[in-house]
Amino acid sequence: MATSPTASDPPSSPIAASDTADNNLQPFFVLHKALPGKSEKRASGSGRTRRKIDLSASSPKSAEKSDQIPPDDSDAICEKLRLEAFERTWSKIDSTIKEVLRQINLNLFNEVLQWIQELFSIIKSSRTTSLSEIQRPYPLLTDALCRRVPAAFVFTKNVEFVDDLLTFQDLGVHLKSNRCHVASLSGLDFLAKHGIGGCVRSLLRQLVSDASDVADFAVLASWYCEQENYNNPIIIIIDDMQRCNGGVLGEFITLLSEWVIKIPIFIIMGVATTVDAPRKLLSSNALQHLQPCKLTLGSPAERMNALVEAILVKPCSGFSISHKVAVFLRNYFLRHDGTITSFISALKLACSKHFSLEPLSCLCLGTFDENRRDEFDAFPGPILRTAFDLPSCKREKISQGSGTSITQGLSQLRKLQRSWSSVVMCLFETGKRSKMQLLDIFCEASDPNLQISSMTRGIPITGKLGSGKAGFIAQAIHRVRELPIALLPHVLKMWSLHMKDMNEVIDKVKELQSNIASGDGGQLYKEKWTDIHKRPVYLGARKGTVSVNDKAAMLLDDMVRKYLTPIECAPFHEIICFGHVEILQSALIGDTRRIIQVDLLKPQNHLRCSCCNGDENIVSPTMHDTSIMYYLSQEYGDVINLHDWYQIFKVTISTPSSKSRKRLHNSPASKKLKTTPTENEAEIQSRFCRAVTELQITGLLRMPSKRRPDFVQRVAFGL
Amino acid sequence: MVAAETALAILRTRLSNPTFAHSHLKSSSESNYSKLKFIVSSSIAEACNNSVLLLGPRGSGKVAVAELVLEDLKAEHADEISVIRLNGLLHSDDNCALKEIARQLCLEHRLLFSKMASSDDNSQFMIDMLRECGLAHKTTIFVLDEFDLFTQGKQRLLYSLLDALQTLTSQAVVIGMSCRLDADQLLEKRVRSRFSNRKLLFIPPSADEMQRLIEHLLYLPKDSGLPTKFVTEFNSRLSNIISDKKFKEIVNSISAVDGTISNLLTFLFRAVSYMDVESGFLMMENFKSAELCMQKQPKIDCLQAGASVLDLYILVCMNRLEIKERNSYNFTSIMKEYKAIHDAYKTSDNYAFTVCLRAFEHLLDQELIGFVDSKGHNQSIDFRPVRLLISSRELYEGLKSNPLSPAILLKLFDHESYK
Amino acid sequence: MANEETKTLDSTPRRTTRSSSSSLSLSSPQKPSLNPPNPPPPSLPTDLLFSAQPITLDQLLSNLPGRNPQILEVLRLIGPLNSPTQPILLYGGVSTGKTSTILQVFRYLNRPFVYASCRSCYNPRILFESVLNQLLRHRRSRSSGFASSKRCERASEFVDLLRDALLRVLNELKERRGGKGGNGEMVYVIFDNVELIRSWDKSSLILCLLFRLFDILKIPELGLIYISSSTPDAYYSMTGSIGPNAVHFPEYTLNDLHGIFMRNQENPKLYSSFLSVVLKPFSRVTKRVDELATAFESLFRKYCEPLTDLKLFPDERMKRRLFDYIQPHLTASLNETFDVPVRSSSESAKDGDYTKKGSIRKTVGGNDSLAELDFHMSVSAKYLLLSAFLASRNPATLDAALFDSTGGSSSRKRKRKSSQASIDQNDHKAEEILIKGPGTFPLERLLAIFQCITSLSEEALEEEQLQEGKGIENATVGLMSDVLLQLSTLCNANFLCKSGSCPLDGSRRYRSTIDEDFALKVARSINFPLSKYIYRR
Repeated sequence: MATSPTASDPPSSPIAASDTADNNLQPFFVLHKALPGKSEKRASGSGRTRRKIDLSASSPKSAEKSDQIPPDDSDAICEKLRLEAFERTWSKIDSTIKEVLRQINLNLFNEVLQWIQELFSIIKSSRTTSLSEIQRPYPLLTDALCRRVPAAFVFTKNVEFVDDLLTFQDLGVHLKSNRCHVASLSGLDFLAKHGIGGCVRSLLRQLVSDASDVADFAVLASWYCEQENYNNPIIIIIDDMQRCNGGVLGEFITLLSEWVIKIPIFIIMGVATTVDAPRKLLSSNALQHLQPCKLTLGSPAERMNALVEAILVKPCSGFSISHKVAVFLRNYFLRHDGTITSFISALKLACSKHFSLEPLSCLCLGTFDENRRDEFDAFPGPILRTAFDLPSCKREKISQGSGTSITQGLSQLRKLQRSWSSVVMCLFETGKRSKMQLLDIFCEASDPNLQISSMTRGIPITGKLGSGKAGFIAQAIHRVRELPIALLPHVLKMWSLHMKDMNEVIDKVKELQSNIASGDGGQLYKEKWTDIHKRPVYLGARKGTVSVNDKAAMLLDDMVRKYLTPIECAPFHEIICFGHVEILQSALIGDTRRIIQVDLLKPQNHLRCSCCNGDENIVSPTMHDTSIMYYLSQEYGDVINLHDWYQIFKVTISTPSSKSRKRLHNSPASKKLKTTPTENEAEIQSRFCRAVTELQITGLLRMPSKRRPDFVQRVAFGL
Repeated sequence: MVAAETALAILRTRLSNPTFAHSHLKSSSESNYSKLKFIVSSSIAEACNNSVLLLGPRGSGKVAVAELVLEDLKAEHADEISVIRLNGLLHSDDNCALKEIARQLCLEHRLLFSKMASSDDNSQFMIDMLRECGLAHKTTIFVLDEFDLFTQGKQRLLYSLLDALQTLTSQAVVIGMSCRLDADQLLEKRVRSRFSNRKLLFIPPSADEMQRLIEHLLYLPKDSGLPTKFVTEFNSRLSNIISDKKFKEIVNSISAVDGTISNLLTFLFRAVSYMDVESGFLMMENFKSAELCMQKQPKIDCLQAGASVLDLYILVCMNRLEIKERNSYNFTSIMKEYKAIHDAYKTSDNYAFTVCLRAFEHLLDQELIGFVDSKGHNQSIDFRPVRLLISSRELYEGLKSNPLSPAILLKLFDHESYK
Repeated sequence: MANEETKTLDSTPRRTTRSSSSSLSLSSPQKPSLNPPNPPPPSLPTDLLFSAQPITLDQLLSNLPGRNPQILEVLRLIGPLNSPTQPILLYGGVSTGKTSTILQVFRYLNRPFVYASCRSCYNPRILFESVLNQLLRHRRSRSSGFASSKRCERASEFVDLLRDALLRVLNELKERRGGKGGNGEMVYVIFDNVELIRSWDKSSLILCLLFRLFDILKIPELGLIYISSSTPDAYYSMTGSIGPNAVHFPEYTLNDLHGIFMRNQENPKLYSSFLSVVLKPFSRVTKRVDELATAFESLFRKYCEPLTDLKLFPDERMKRRLFDYIQPHLTASLNETFDVPVRSSSESAKDGDYTKKGSIRKTVGGNDSLAELDFHMSVSAKYLLLSAFLASRNPATLDAALFDSTGGSSSRKRKRKSSQASIDQNDHKAEEILIKGPGTFPLERLLAIFQCITSLSEEALEEEQLQEGKGIENATVGLMSDVLLQLSTLCNANFLCKSGSCPLDGSRRYRSTIDEDFALKVARSINFPLSKYIYRR
């Protein structure tokens, strides 16, 4: 449990934490959600580090606490180690992420480039225009029946376009590098109030460096006729088409269509939702001038699979996350904003938290690659010894030992993780065809309970497929059974790739492959079985294939049994695996409104003051003004009469707490008022005002409107 | 052949500048020409200030007459008058008007004009110049075209101008021309009090004036290098046409729509431009076809030729909605009606929403229908209230004359009691 | 170019192989010999003449099928060499060949002219300056910062400058008269898309100026030609009732269309058989050439698909076969205004079901309610979208009835009761909703509904989370938190639009723009019983 000798003894630590908290109470603490005690204690050891690398909303008290304690040298050393370990790890992860995303986008970019080149070659072949002709103001007289601007709709299959802004920037760079003139416009250039002048101006400003002030499109023509610009296409990238004003965009397109053959202009528009979006946005006249073409970006799910595979499943760095965290991340991705960006930031947060909270986390890198073993020697003994206090070791009853046993444990941990990840990849290979997401499989596979359950259940896991709610793993295994034999070899090949360093599995796979090849006329059936959905053929051929498929399923099944031991079941997993969901939760889903209200109603949880430690649901005058006010406001509907409110407030704070309960229960606006000395009337009023203002600032109230000057409106949605 | 072309050129030249048309009105003593000339020349003679308004519908030859008068006066006493021309379209803004005046004054008197001068300098300069001219017994004539546009805003220009005219020393004439007959009512009190409201009204010419005008315009002159034989031939044929009562009907119908001289010129120009160069003579057919062109009804043409079947359906639906006294309706309710029709009579033209929307937008472009309110852009197009811009009679004409309008539409159009 | 494009486009697959070479030509620096960067400005009038070689009258007439009467009339009105003309107005619907006609005519006449389109020149200053630039034969260049010859914003400046420029040009023309005086002493100015000016500010003044330019300038050698897609009476109010000589360009008749589409086809027989199938049905929907062209272009590719070689002449039997083949596509594309072809290779990258979905969507916009949502959207955003849909669909008075704390269980009967109570106003309300469209709602109402919905849908989330071993409260917190972020997301995606703020208290109001089947699609994706909450009248 205990991390550093400073906060070593569990019983004392919460007190210490709390009264330090009391010493320096700051007003906004009322609105702040306290971090869970455990993490507090962990954090307290490493205040100095946290101040550097912490991303979450951290409370300053821990820092000050660590100032009170004299940090001893070993602590300092391992802090340094952890810090650099974090930096190294994260840089590794970061580079991997960038690489993966680049790979995913790259084929789209080439797609676009190819599209441009095809159309541009057509244009060049069709037009035989002299430069002077290009600069003429009148449109060319081709025997064209309609002049259409080639436009590519890039469907970024995500309502949030945060991820895609970056993609489109990269696209622009990519095209620039291929000798295209690129101008990227955004929704802000197509505002109704600037009209068409706005977008033309920004277009010219980007392309023509030294343009005159007036945004005349003819400028572009004569610019294009300059020697160095001629014969390269002009690409206009509009990253978020749906934020443009439809009218202006339509005008812009028709304007382009007047120049289209003379100047090779291509439009690339990012569309978040469906093909109906442009149809709704633009008038039919403008649509008429587009020569559309649909390109699709990798959907967020695909990207997510790639990312999870690269970062979590086959860890590029030692760092990995626990089941709970994984589930949380998954829900966060699905429920909140399905942006890769936020996923990555959450991951980074987790990573930094891990390194800041887990004293031994600096061994991460050590576990990751062999040649950093010497680090252990650099390690001070006491800290290494704390490793054996890790709950996992306690569970496994690993006895007190030296660094070597730790190294063994870690290497074994790594081995286990490898085999685990390869099995997961095999599952994903099969599950892919029925659109399983890797993250789902990951979540299920990393569930520590899964192990036990599947063991205790003697029946193969697929047995529980009978009930509709089968786990993803079970589904995957079942999927193997009904896999058409044509696809089987491919799957097996992938398996053998993933399993390359486990010989016995490889042998099994090879055997399977062989008896498919030789097996009863697999060749002959192949073309029939290319399609799963032809039931009759399938059934007819079933007895032929049943053996092979089932063998494969069996193989996968006992692969799962053997190797799919979640990392959390292994000793020392705390070192490399981050498990504190609450931290992420409080940092990412800060449901501020709700929390504010909770805290206002139960201030005792935060300011553990001696005065109002009574039962929760009565107001005592010693409470913070704001919470008193909020308390009182609960009794009203959605509008509060300021006068009554003030009266009750005055009564409440001007009466000793003992009697306050009784007084509250009978009429709130009692005639205790005259007893209250008048000199502090002003003070009470000022307190009242300040409290009301605070409530307004926290967004629980709306100030009186012109129509009803003496009423405030409650805009809180309850709990 | 060559003769014909030169004749054509002559006629086109005549018809395309209005001053020629009016030049023959000089003769008659009661014409606006002689009145205006009398006013201006008298004020020149007795060296006094004067101001006059020429009022009349557009194209009734105000500018032309003024030009003629000015030309003659310039011919008579060349160095005693200087003309300043302003146009309400261009110089309605006071500052730029003053600037323009200063520029032209400089031009007239060969002075150096500075662009930098402020409007106060310019107005001061104008007043000084007026005084100087008055002392030098030179009359300055201000010709203000589109006079009504000068009355927008604060009328500073008019005020300063007319105020300058009040002084005895100055000697100037202001000729205002406007197609608004109430132009002098637009003047502020201080301006109007300084304005001698002398008005010349330009009324469309009577039938026989028109007759004489036409002859004056179309008869080829003897003394233009054309072969006399051709000229006499041409004129004799022309006189036959003109004396023809069919021709008189045509002219009457033209002048019934718009009796101004410019309209007549347009008509004659068309007729002349239809003249066949091979034969080299004006034919009756030229005038007939010209009349046809003059009396086009664009919307009905649009309905006849342009509208596709779907457009007609939508128009009929809107018409039905209007008959049902639906105070306001939009594309959605139109579509409802459309679907109702197709449920009632299983017609072949039942198209998807998007296609109908496109047709709807076409109708908007052709301005056969229009939005009721100009604002409300934040709402999507299919909920903005619309209305027909053509009368139901026009629509009926269009339906009947459109070759490919289905019979069902006429039926739907006719019995409106269909529920 | 329907034919033109079909030619090029159905050769694209062949081009893909060649695209590498084209990319080469892209990436390799251009040879200066091909295009001299800036040829010395040619002397007058070749700079004002039409750039291409002049054509004969027959070519002119044959180039523009179905426009011969208009061409002849325009020629008559413009008149022979050196004969002055009154202003001319060409009007007619969109894509009836106004611009190309006048340009071809000048190509034939080979006389100096100036062209300014009010679409490219989208405000007065640009319009004025572009006219002046052409008259002064000014070339923009980098050295001058691509500035135009004269800076001219005011109408008065424009008239003065224009007069000077015109006189200079006319003098030069007169001098050249001694030499080859092939192109006369007239200068014509063409104003295209005049109807757009009406949407400018101070439009009436500018229109009036343009239409009276002839009277103001009083230069008989100036010929003015206006091109407008809206009828002349649109301008009467502004200029007073004196109009230029109008020439009407009617929409093409079927025969004209046939002639237009038959121009320079390879294998005309095949194409005419194609036209005989498609032209008539399509002309019932639209008669605009450009729309027909785009529709035919893809259809003709479909039409040719069964054919082995495009050279052969179809006989009756084959025609019938082709007709049967094309029939379904025909009806599909009759009901489609805008179809986005999918790039084949990009689809091959995806797994198979994409193409299927694409084809479904391509049939008719709207009726693909079976296809599931094909873009990512977080669950809370979906709930928010649904609640927005309900908020602008249902009358606010029924919220209490539809959503109560206990949730949807009892909501159905309540709803029926309320609707029966107010059965008389229903049709009136229906009318109203039909007119007004989706209603607007304040943020508070949206959030209230949102919370009801999410609390109702707890059960669904609940057991799903139990199997994930996850707390329940987390889910609701999750859905409820940072709702405003989701709101802005939806606004950006045009699912919601901010409409004007409420007059009483200045709070913003929103309106959902999605239609019902899309909402149902979303509801299905998170299996939420939407139809229970829609207030049916």
